[in-house]
Amino acid sequence: MRYPAFALAEHLDHGLGDPRDPARPASFARCVALDSREEFPAEICAELDRLGLPRFYVPAEYGGELRSYEELLHAVRILARRDLTVAIGHGKTYLGAVSAWVGATPEQARRVGAEVLAGSVISLALTEREHGSDLLAGEVSAVPTGDGYRVDGEKWLINNASRGDLVCVLARTEPAGGTRGFSLLLVDKRRLAPGTFRCLPKERTHGVRGADISGIAFTGAEVPAEALLGATGAGPEIVLKSVQLTRTMCAAMSLGLADQALRLVLDFATGHRLYDRPLVDLPHANRTLTEAYVDLLIGEATSVLTARGIHATPGELSVTSAVAKYLVPTMMDRTIPRLGQVLGARALLTEDHADGLFQKIERDHRIVGIFDGNTLVNLNTLVNQFPGLVRGYRRGVVDPGLVDTVELARPLPDFDRSRLALLSRTGCSVVQHLPAAVAEVLELVDAGIAPPALAVQAETLAGLVDGLHERMAAYRPQPRQVPAEAFGMAGEYALAFAAAACLHLWLRNRHWLSDGPTAPLWADARWLRACLHRLIGQLRPATATGSGSDDGEDYDRLLPDLRAQHHEGRLFSLLPARLAEAGAQHSESPSRLAEPAPQASESPARSAGTAAQLSEVAR
Amino acid sequence: MSGTIQDTSVEAIRTWLVGRIAFYLQRSAEEIDADAPLVEIGLDSVYAMTLSGDVEERFDLEVEPTMAWDHPTVNALAGYLHGLLGSRG
Repeated sequence: MRYPAFALAEHLDHGLGDPRDPARPASFARCVALDSREEFPAEICAELDRLGLPRFYVPAEYGGELRSYEELLHAVRILARRDLTVAIGHGKTYLGAVSAWVGATPEQARRVGAEVLAGSVISLALTEREHGSDLLAGEVSAVPTGDGYRVDGEKWLINNASRGDLVCVLARTEPAGGTRGFSLLLVDKRRLAPGTFRCLPKERTHGVRGADISGIAFTGAEVPAEALLGATGAGPEIVLKSVQLTRTMCAAMSLGLADQALRLVLDFATGHRLYDRPLVDLPHANRTLTEAYVDLLIGEATSVLTARGIHATPGELSVTSAVAKYLVPTMMDRTIPRLGQVLGARALLTEDHADGLFQKIERDHRIVGIFDGNTLVNLNTLVNQFPGLVRGYRRGVVDPGLVDTVELARPLPDFDRSRLALLSRTGCSVVQHLPAAVAEVLELVDAGIAPPALAVQAETLAGLVDGLHERMAAYRPQPRQVPAEAFGMAGEYALAFAAAACLHLWLRNRHWLSDGPTAPLWADARWLRACLHRLIGQLRPATATGSGSDDGEDYDRLLPDLRAQHHEGRLFSLLPARLAEAGAQHSESPSRLAEPAPQASESPARSAGTAAQLSEVAR
Repeated sequence: MSGTIQDTSVEAIRTWLVGRIAFYLQRSAEEIDADAPLVEIGLDSVYAMTLSGDVEERFDLEVEPTMAWDHPTVNALAGYLHGLLGSRG
């Protein structure tokens, strides 16, 4: 049983090779060493250029091969599990270019696409030293000069500001500012007059120590008129739509890091003996492991549905991307340190366990929750949409695209940027379709197809989600300070989304996933029961969960699946994916991923080899 | 709910908008200056977006969430919405 959306991730992982082999340029040992030297992983990024990754940052309509955000999600996930600095150091070019995919004219977007395919590094410069994430307070200005703009001011804490060939800058084009007072300019650093800009020194950071997190200061930099992306004044709108795409990809980074944390701890727990038994056989230790596994599966379900929604239900991304960006990093911020407790004192030793890799993962992960809109920004996005979410739930609104969103075997429609919306008109179909999913589960239990315990869980969940919407309906929007209980409800809404996502995924995919390496997880709904157990417990923390006495059996049943995925070098996942640790890859990747590019129609400039050479020149 | 509001005169729309904004800001309707930029009255850019949901509810009319960005005073918004509702017939 194949899950095609893993093809790109497998291609990259196997291309980079077994990360446990220190002779590999992209080994864990190398990544840890680069991190401790605060050195940018340039060699690994060049390898990713050779493997053709930049093509997957560019939508097919603009000359690249990005056809599926589900595929990109797993690619980012697989890179993050190796090294977050690599994932953001390379993936930043997607972030730099995404404004063009969302807001530029098609002709402009094709030009930006050609830059990416040629290996150019593109950076996104939104934030400023004095204004944090308050974009409408930005002071960098772009004043029309007749044949272009003159740019002045400083952008700070910008990923790849120094390494970037081009920088997409949000600049004030109306002195008074406001929502229509800012525009995006794609500034080509290579064409700026000397002395009109300077890159700021790299900031030292606690995580992703090798990343080029710096800044850029402009002093009378003249840029041509064609640098303007989209309409004058469209900057904030384009940025708010773009982050709906990039926030979903942030969830993938958390998934990758948590996967690696769990893998490391399992390596240790299967090898280390305590009281004459391997640690993994001690109930307390293995409960921590299975809980982390369940968190990963919940995070995967949430992220995969959000990524598929980019194609199938893009109008709801203002809700779903905020859910994914809030929920997955927040969950893993708890999961990863708990895993560290299994390592005990070894988690703290830099020279001991796996070269201090666990500590690096923990450090790196903390940054995921912060960038691209922090926890409060995302919860606030949900709070602001409570009225629409309540309406949608009460009316049972379901976007027709939900079918494609949840059924993984169905091909995804092409992404259509014109369907992005700053606010969802249909609420959130995943949650609004929950009552129907619960009814379907009850029918399956009645028919003897699903285990009776699932009926109890489904009904408990339905009651909790009803109650949540009643409380959301009673919330009165506040003009200044959003009260803590509103953030609390938004957090519960994210949990409700995750639970609904799990239910839909199980209902719509259990047939085709009933064979293959992950079949045992699906056969008796065991993954679903464990995920619902955990989510219901968090939605109703004071009492026992919906499956009767809380003895954690739902988690224990997953231990064989978890150990098998670990042992066989597969991703911790509901779906089959072979990591580089599993050894040589079967020749299953689609031809478009093969090297060298086989299609005669592919122009030389687009072949991966040429792209790599150009990027070397550019650096 | 029904979307069967009969009075779509500029005046009625303006009165309704002022009422919504006053409710949100917890001020009296008299304090809302219909010619002042919404930002200066105290409406942030995000709440200005959520006004579009209220409009859709009230008038059964699809509008862009950025409507209040492009028509940034009560009077500008009322005129804009009146134009849309009038053309709907």
